[in-house]
Amino acid sequence: MTGRVFLRQLGRETRGARGRLAFFALCLAVGVAGVTAVAGFSGALRSGLRSEARKLLAADLRVEALRPLPEEAAQLLAGRPGLRTTRLREMPTVVLAPGGTAATHSQLVELRAVDGEFPFYGRLEIEPDRPLAELLAGDGAVAGPELFSRLGVGLGDELSVGGRRFTLRGILRSEPDRIGGAFALGPRLYVDGGALDETGLLARGSRVEHSTLIALAPGAKPAEARQLAKALRAALPDPAFYRVETFADGQPELRRGVDRTERFLGLAALLSLLVGGIGVAQTVRAWLASRLDAIAVLGALGARPREIAALFVAQIGLLALAGSAAGAALGVALERLLPRLLSSFLPELPPPGFQPQAVGRGLALGAGVALLFSAGPLVAALRVPVLRVLRHDAEPIPVPRALALALGAALFAGTAAIAALQAESWRVGAAFAGGLAATAGVLTLAARLLARLAGRVPRLRLPTALRWSLAALSRPGTGTTANVVALGLGGLVLVGMLSVESNLQRRLQAELPRAAPTAFLIDIQPSQWDGVRETLTAQGALSVDSVPLVMARIASIDGRSIDELVEADRRERRRRWALRREQRLTWLDRLPADNELVGGRLWGDPELAELSVEEEFARDLGLTIGSRVAFDVQGLPVELTVTSLRRVRWESFGINFFWIVEPGVLDQAPQMRIAAVRLPPGGEDRLRDALAAAYPNVTLFAIREILDKVVAVLEKIGVGIRFLGIFTVVAAAAILAGAVAAGAARRAREVAIAKTLGMTRGQVVVLFAAEYGLAGLAGGLVGAVAGNALAAVVLRRGFEMPWRFEPWMALGGALAVALVAALAGLAASARALAERPIEALRHEG
Amino acid sequence: MTTSRLELRQVTKRLRSGERELTIVDAVDLAVAPGEFLAVLGPSGSGKSTLLGLAAGLDRPSSGEVLIDGQPIHALSEDSLARLRRGRIGFVFQSFQLLGNLTALENVLLPLELAGRAGAARRAAELVAEVGLGERGHHYPSQLSGGEQQRVALARAFAIEPALLLADEPTGNLDGATGAVVLDLLARLRAEHGSTLVLVTHDPEVAALADRRIHLRDGRIDRTS
Repeated sequence: MTGRVFLRQLGRETRGARGRLAFFALCLAVGVAGVTAVAGFSGALRSGLRSEARKLLAADLRVEALRPLPEEAAQLLAGRPGLRTTRLREMPTVVLAPGGTAATHSQLVELRAVDGEFPFYGRLEIEPDRPLAELLAGDGAVAGPELFSRLGVGLGDELSVGGRRFTLRGILRSEPDRIGGAFALGPRLYVDGGALDETGLLARGSRVEHSTLIALAPGAKPAEARQLAKALRAALPDPAFYRVETFADGQPELRRGVDRTERFLGLAALLSLLVGGIGVAQTVRAWLASRLDAIAVLGALGARPREIAALFVAQIGLLALAGSAAGAALGVALERLLPRLLSSFLPELPPPGFQPQAVGRGLALGAGVALLFSAGPLVAALRVPVLRVLRHDAEPIPVPRALALALGAALFAGTAAIAALQAESWRVGAAFAGGLAATAGVLTLAARLLARLAGRVPRLRLPTALRWSLAALSRPGTGTTANVVALGLGGLVLVGMLSVESNLQRRLQAELPRAAPTAFLIDIQPSQWDGVRETLTAQGALSVDSVPLVMARIASIDGRSIDELVEADRRERRRRWALRREQRLTWLDRLPADNELVGGRLWGDPELAELSVEEEFARDLGLTIGSRVAFDVQGLPVELTVTSLRRVRWESFGINFFWIVEPGVLDQAPQMRIAAVRLPPGGEDRLRDALAAAYPNVTLFAIREILDKVVAVLEKIGVGIRFLGIFTVVAAAAILAGAVAAGAARRAREVAIAKTLGMTRGQVVVLFAAEYGLAGLAGGLVGAVAGNALAAVVLRRGFEMPWRFEPWMALGGALAVALVAALAGLAASARALAERPIEALRHEG
Repeated sequence: MTTSRLELRQVTKRLRSGERELTIVDAVDLAVAPGEFLAVLGPSGSGKSTLLGLAAGLDRPSSGEVLIDGQPIHALSEDSLARLRRGRIGFVFQSFQLLGNLTALENVLLPLELAGRAGAARRAAELVAEVGLGERGHHYPSQLSGGEQQRVALARAFAIEPALLLADEPTGNLDGATGAVVLDLLARLRAEHGSTLVLVTHDPEVAALADRRIHLRDGRIDRTS
């Protein structure tokens, strides 16, 4: 075959199958749109993060810790010419505005004290447009606009912070390094570092976050920043306690967040693409079944099998590209929509530009999935004997077992490779493909079982409609298996997404106990506690729960130093985090009601300084009864022995601790108190006013507001999950309709015979609805079970939350899939119903 | 005057093929008496099968009238036609047209149920036995030979004891010996049930069995013998 003949024949082959081939393209387009949108959106986010990394850091390097920069590091920095440094100290605190016109006179703020130039990169937008240092000089302060509105103050008014007076000189419109605004505790307040020292806020034990911002000489390369970071880590006495970030890292935490989001959304999008792949396989199979004569004739005319194969592969490839291109275009449009859904917990970044890699990924995945899923039907169809030109009933020679196995293996490997590409991890890719293969296997078994059961039912006594649908399901080769698998995967996604979302919602709303505290008080000095308690009583507190609190770091476990342990656990991020974080210790005589002893005895050994550890935390750190944990309590070494393990009901929202120490051991350690208080509605503002006047260092968190914010964010996540779930279910429904349409030639003939025998269209409709509904119900039930399993994995591993089986949702999901299946079956059979019987019968004989 | 079982009055069927309009059946007048066996002969493309489709209400004439037992059917809706066929018209096709999803027995059972006949299951089993497939009623069409499939089709066609049986080259896909068996069976069943039979064929030997033969050419009745 010459190239020109090939191309001409290519065009001829698509004739008469355009509708079917359009379905093929649609199956791909839906999935590709999802893949492209997710890749484009996260690509834009990541490149935005990279280009904005300096601004987000406001510096080239940043060293953060809950303790000041030690002398060693300061000396290292001083010894390097051309460096500029700025010190930031941050803490939540309460400000008072006695002259304000609002009903409340106090407000929780995120205080930031600046020593030096700020920011080195990016811009602080302030009204009036004056340099920060000039506005803060002396007793100046600059605050976010919410502070002005909540306290009813204006520029020039006075504030009291930690007992010192400040004058409001500027309104802060934006700052380069503050992101994730949804979780802010309150408006920002800037003051001068020197002025902070003059307040009463820096009492020992207060939680202050220290940051050192470093600017390299202009034009410095990422390597220089990394090199300095390395030198700093080497110079720090306890490097585990400090976080050193460079602009070259590009906001590792945020990037990890983006990666995680992308992985979840990317795999969900891939799932709809794979459901599309099943549609592709069905369409190709039906299309080729109608081309069997043509394939035989081409062979009889002298086309070599290789040439015939090339003809069809080229057609599939071209169609796949067309479908994928349409999907990619849709994906680019969707990409603009996603940031709006996610805006409240992602930083504001420049609008995403055109993402060529995302479009490329969409096209490649679309074409890959199309070829992977077409291979089986294509190989089968090409085995039609040329003899068919003489004997019309000559069917393709069955595919040998080894070849069938090889095709299956290729499908699995291809799916794993695509999933690995989407998740950027071979492990996740393999797990995804494995889970999917297992689900598809169970669905195939379910389909076979359904077919067998349908065949076993003594149907002669059943009503005609039910008998017909059972008969259709029990016959091999009617596409039942593929339909059940496609429907089951659709059900999996629907039920999985719904279950994740409802578990999240229920956990937040239903399990919130009635007696939950509405506010937390922190940073209470022991000497202030009696006075604070009186204030609480005077303000009508309904319940007060208070414990002492000592901050400490782990120094060693069972004799192994923290550095050694962290080094040994390089790959376990969770454990490393648990080891390095600042630990909160308390002491109690008895366990509170929401704690349950699950191992050992509480304070049973008079010889030892005892420690009780929360069960899961102990597991993370590898602690058991008898483990020895040495703490560095702000310079004082304390060694304790684990003698009991506890299970904590965290959802009680009470004050709870990973570590509880035997009373008496920490009496002399630097400490403060925290309290959980339940107040009558609206009591938080009055209490904050009362405390701010007498105890400026005490910070009140009204968690009512915070909980509302968390609920709002979770609702947005819910919207996103629902959006994706609906998208995938719509994709599955469209594809089922496509698959059914692919079998429409067979259906048209069946409908014609049924009508010839005297069946009315109404009766035909009932038959088809019952048949497809049953297939949908079978697939939906398996899908619902698999969806619940998926939700369990996502919630337990991803969100670290318990998961509860919701039978009604599973059943509802299965019924919804059955309904979609019945409707799709009817929609696709509509043409056969409208046709006169003779039209369909004429094609025969 | 007795009413004809089947009557065609000036029936014409035209089909559009691209720019041209083809006349497949051209102003045919035909009356078939109750109990008569009529053979329709003609070369390929002469309009035999189209005529049969029009007679059964499977297709609509472009002009003219079709009457069954004196009732005009050409203006009936699809569903009314389906109800008409239920109790009165049986079909046998060259390519059998059994439903692949249903067993032999179920294929025979379906028209009985649609017609709402009492004792449908028992009657279907009897019929399957009558065509010599008593042991194979639970087999699917794909598990049966061509001759066996056509016997099932005959059992299905006669299940409702149709007043009018339409057969479109019922032996066309069968070898000589098998075709003869099927023809014998057809003749026997027709005799038992007293059905009117219109049979399309191009085999003169088959046509020789009929009471009357019409020869079609270019959509017109060329001659009657």
